[in-house]
Order: sequence, then C-alpha cells, then structure tokens
Amino acid sequence: MRFKDRSLPYFMLLPMIAIMLGLVYYPIAMTFTYSTRNMILTKPKEAGFIGFKNYFKLLQDPDVGKAFFNSLYILVLVIVLTIIIGLLFALLLKRDTKIKGALTAIAIIPWALPPIVNGVMWRWVFHPSYGIINKILALQGSMDEPIMWLTEKWLVLSIVALVAAWRSIPLACVTFLATLQSIPDHLYESACIDGCNKFAEFRRITLPLLRPAMGIILTTTSISAINVFDEIVTLSGFGNATKTVMVETYMRSFKFLNFGEGSALIYLAMIATSIFGIFYARSVYKEVEYL
Amino acid sequence: MKKIIVLMLAIALMVTMFAGCTPKASEDAVEDVADVKEETEAAEPAAVEAQEITFMIPPWGEPSAEALAAFTAETGITVNLNIVGWDEIRDKISIAAVSETAPADVVEVDWSWIGEFYAAGWVDVLEVSDADKADMPTLTSFMAEGNVLALPYANDFRIGYYNTDDFDAAGITEIPADWDAMVEAAKAIKASGACEYPIGFTVSATEACTTSVIWMTMAYAGDFFNADGTLNSANLLKTLEFINKIVKEDKLVDPTMVSMTDKEIYGTFLSGDTATIVGPTYVLGRMANPELSAVVDSSKAMLIPGRADAATTSFALPEGIGVTAYSENKEAAIKFVEWFTSPETQLSLYETQGLIPTRNSVLQQLIDDGKMTNGDVLMAQSAAIKPAFPAGIPNWYSEMSAAIYNAVNEMVTSDLTPAEAMDQIHTKVDGIEK
Repeated sequence: MRFKDRSLPYFMLLPMIAIMLGLVYYPIAMTFTYSTRNMILTKPKEAGFIGFKNYFKLLQDPDVGKAFFNSLYILVLVIVLTIIIGLLFALLLKRDTKIKGALTAIAIIPWALPPIVNGVMWRWVFHPSYGIINKILALQGSMDEPIMWLTEKWLVLSIVALVAAWRSIPLACVTFLATLQSIPDHLYESACIDGCNKFAEFRRITLPLLRPAMGIILTTTSISAINVFDEIVTLSGFGNATKTVMVETYMRSFKFLNFGEGSALIYLAMIATSIFGIFYARSVYKEVEYL
Repeated sequence: MKKIIVLMLAIALMVTMFAGCTPKASEDAVEDVADVKEETEAAEPAAVEAQEITFMIPPWGEPSAEALAAFTAETGITVNLNIVGWDEIRDKISIAAVSETAPADVVEVDWSWIGEFYAAGWVDVLEVSDADKADMPTLTSFMAEGNVLALPYANDFRIGYYNTDDFDAAGITEIPADWDAMVEAAKAIKASGACEYPIGFTVSATEACTTSVIWMTMAYAGDFFNADGTLNSANLLKTLEFINKIVKEDKLVDPTMVSMTDKEIYGTFLSGDTATIVGPTYVLGRMANPELSAVVDSSKAMLIPGRADAATTSFALPEGIGVTAYSENKEAAIKFVEWFTSPETQLSLYETQGLIPTRNSVLQQLIDDGKMTNGDVLMAQSAAIKPAFPAGIPNWYSEMSAAIYNAVNEMVTSDLTPAEAMDQIHTKVDGIEK
C-alpha cells in the first residue's frame, strides 16, 4: 500500500481526535489540576498546590455525604421507573394498531422538553395551593388539607426522580421497541409450539434478548439521573436537605467561587459514575445472537 | 480526486476549529505595544472622545436608546450594551477575572458582591464627592474600608405594605409600630376570618430568606453584624425564635411559603391573599397597577415595625454599577458611571424603567411633582436606613447566606429548634475560611 493510502485514515481521524483532546480530555485533566489546588477566585493570592486536601475535606463534610445519598436515592428510583415503564410502553407500542405512529410520537414528547421547562411545569403540577394534583385530590375528597408535596424531603426527592424518569422513559421506550422488533418471530413460534406460555416467553426469550438494550438504557439513565440539576433547583431550590451532587458542585464552584473544591467534588462524582459504568459493562451488556 | 477533496475538507475543518484560538502575546510583544502606546500618548493627549465601552447590565437597568445617544453626542463615547441576566453577571466577572480580563468596562455590581470583589480586586475604587455621598445614602452598601467600589443606580430598600380591607375587618385602626403589636394585629385578622395567613415572609431555601432574616433582625432585635465584622448571635437567635413563633406556633404564615420565592410571596399580597408583607420598593408601583394588582384600592405602604429603642429600621439592597479592574477604557468608563448615576439619568430611568432613584434630591423632586405615590412613607423609611454590615460586606457572604437560609428553612419544615438552627449556622460560619 502506498503511504498515501495508509496514512489517509489517520488524517480522517485527526478532526475527531482534536475535538476529543480539546473538548474532553484536556478539560478532564485541567479539572484534576484545579482539584489539587486552593482555588478560591476571591482569594487569588492564596492560590497554590495543596495535594488531595480538597478531597479529604469533602469526604469528611456531612453535606457532601447527604448530597451523594440523595443522588443515589434518585438514581435507583429513576432506573427502576424508567426500565419498568419504558419496557411496558415498548411492549404496548409493539402491537400493531392504527394509532401506533401517533402514540410513538406522543411518547417522545417528554424527551424533547428542556429539563428546566420540565422542572417548572411539574413544580406547578405539585404546587400545594395551585397545583392540579391537589385540586384533583380535593375534588375527590381524598384530602382535608393540601398536601405539601414540595416541602418534605423524601417527597421532593421522589418527585424529582419521577420527573427525571418521565424525561428518560421515551428513550428507553424507543430503544426497547427497536430491540423488540428485531427479535425474530420464529423464536416465539417455536416456543409456542413447545407449549410455552406468555410469561415464560417473556422471561426466557424476550428478557435475555433485551440485555444489550438494557445495558444502553442503564448507562444513559444513570448518567441522566446523576446529572439531574434543573429539576432539583426548580422544584426545591438550593436547600441542603434535597441537594444532589451536581447542585453541591454548582454551589461550591459558582456560588462560593471555590473551584478547587468544586473540581474535586466533580471528580468524586466521576469516579462513582465510572463504577456504575464498569458494573454495567461487565454484567449487563452482552452481545446476543439470534439462532 | 475524491480522496483529495475529502482530505482538504478534513484540513479545512481542523483549521476552522483552531481559528478561534489566539496565541497569548509574548512578553516582548506586550512590552512593544506598551512602548508604542506610551509614545502615542506622549505625542498627543488621550482621545477619550473616540472611545467605545461595553456596559453589562440586567434588563431592568437598560437605558433608553435616546439617552445613550445623548451621552455619545456629549462625550463622544460609544456605549455597547450587553444585557445579561443578573444571576449570570457575577459568574462572568469572576471567571473572566481568572484570565485577567474583563467581560465589560462597566458592570452591574450587587451590594452582596462588594466583599468578594474588594478582596479579589475585581472593581476599581471610584472618587465620589461628599455632596454625592450625602445625596445617595445607599452608597454605603458599596463601600469597603472607606473605598467606594460602585455607585447605586436603582434604589431598593425594604418597606412595609398592608391590606387596608383586612385591617379594617379586624377592627385595627392604628398601624402597628412594633413587631409584637404586628403579631397581635395578625392574630386579630386571622380570627376575623379576613385572611387565614396574614403575614407573608420568605422562609424558603433561597437568598431572599437571608435578606428577610437580615431586615427582620435589624428591625426586631438590633444589629445583624457587629462592628468587628462578626455575626451578632444573640440578635439572630431572637429573630429565629420570632420566625419560629409566627410560622409554627401562631401559624400566621402560609405553610406553602416554605417553598415559595420572594416574588411569589409579594404576588400573594398583590392578589389579596396576604394581609401584610415587608418587601422591596418596586411593590409600590405594582400595587397601584390594576393589571398587576387586585388590591389597588386596598393596599398602602407603611413603615417597617420596629422595637422599643428603634421606631423603624431598614437596610438597603440597591443595584450599582462599577468599573472593572481589567477595563482598558477606564476614563471613559468612569465618565459613563457618573452620567448613569446623575440626577437627570435617574429621572429618566424612573420614567422609562420604573427604577426608584438613589438620589434623595431626585426622590424629593418626584414626590413634589406628584409622580410618586406613598412618597412620604418612602422618604421616612429611607431616613431610617442603616448598613447591615458596619465593617463592610464580608467576602464569605455567600457561604454565610447559604448557612442561614438552609437553617431557617430546616427550622420551619422540621422539628429543629431555633437554638439548634443557631448552632447549625455557627458551625457553618466558623468553618468558613475567612
């Protein structure tokens, strides 16, 4: 092969490599550098290398522990809701109906909404005085006093999880639907001939063949759940009780202008997210073959 | 041929990506430019008339195009407006400062940023005459160690408002002069059935809650901050106990306010759902506007209730503008700041944007001309303004504010007692690196 032919693929990759280096790896490296420095913007004269002091300080801070716990609570709830409801919708949409196309389009609408719009909309839905949820419950006679949805910590976190899941379900539904539609019919026919009932078909054929899709959805949903910010801020502000890791990072970096601690916290969050990613990659994502 | 075209496209893409990267000027190059600049300045006087400046301001502070054109005609300085949301301005200033650049020559400066900006050296000190200082009492909010860092262009201080119908229904004929009397009045209003939750107060986990705690402490208990720059814990504890009482014990504050913003709470007064609030001066204009208020004929301003040794106290939360330390057009920027805060411009901003003037002379003129309602209350309250931070706003204000509003919010939504909330605030404030 001529040098020209051998080198062309590398030239073609250069733009992507430049983008990845400049916009992904360089910021990751710089963030680590900031995390090892005393970097409070209002104290430029005190800036300097301090090693891992920021990390030790954060790991001993009870507020950071609360933020991680809140993020974990939301993560678990979002994953459970997204997978169960996403799969349910996908199974419903798999059926051939006249309005299948319209239903699919409607199912995608939450995905298209910006998170901040999502948060503001649901804030008014759950508003104790003006929200439709309390209005409906009051009309039904199910409550004597308005339910304070947005004041009690666990209620707020659950609502945030619900709102974040509402945004993730369309992607899960579409991904599951695409995978379901790729499963050959002859597998179900063979199972039927062998006397398999619907539940057994679902457990023995459908679920195992959904593993690749499951891996993708778990990864994207986890990222989405850990990164939840707009919904938390619109629903409950920057209160300590309901702060997540992203809100805590924002507060330290942009409210307190302590970029050293903010960078260290985001690195801790990245490490935690990576653990989930490795777990998914090893145990959930598997290639499947249709025989 | 196809491969060549593809290769050229790839190279073009890479070139466009790096087009935005400009090399940092070498020290030699900078010195050369400085030398040339010095020679040019020595050769002829600085031509302020030919300069352009950038002015970064939130939407409410935007001057009219006619006013800017008049300024340009008078001084030869062209002003490029950069309208940015208030929340984003501090971020832009701080991040630009890391690279020793300025996002604009003249920027909005909030009173709560003064401590940080002074410590970091992000805004220049301004020279202000004694006459101007006397005419703008809220100027003290923009001073640190005796230095003026910004000039106030829009006045805002806390003032009381009440619903006359609710007060009449409860048989209250005199406006309460102190907070104990106000609580009794609120109980009477609640008992009369006129209003279930008469008092509007911000207790959500937001900056506005800290602001409410500050004015309440100054009005109800005394100094919020000591002269040595430390928190007055005794007075703050009294305020926490008072808030706990009116929210949890007497139930005079709507429980839904624990998650409401301050603007939403002012809205409850304007809709007639709350009998009394302490709010910003702009509510004056809104309560008289039939499109924004359901209480046009039944709302009035009042002095903030005080205590035995102080009839009424308020503190100022004005908006100001300053010159960034890294501005390259400082002379022109200073001229603009002086113009923007001049009596004529303040009058113009009141007429076009509804901004309350910061100069007492302009306020008095508007009241005398009958262009400002409730002006007598405004002037009387203005005379009772005291600085909340006698030693200047600390550079750790943001962290302290977060500690306060979180503690207050947790106190009103859980079993946390005022003493425990105070301990929480102490622990956080003591842990701040000052």
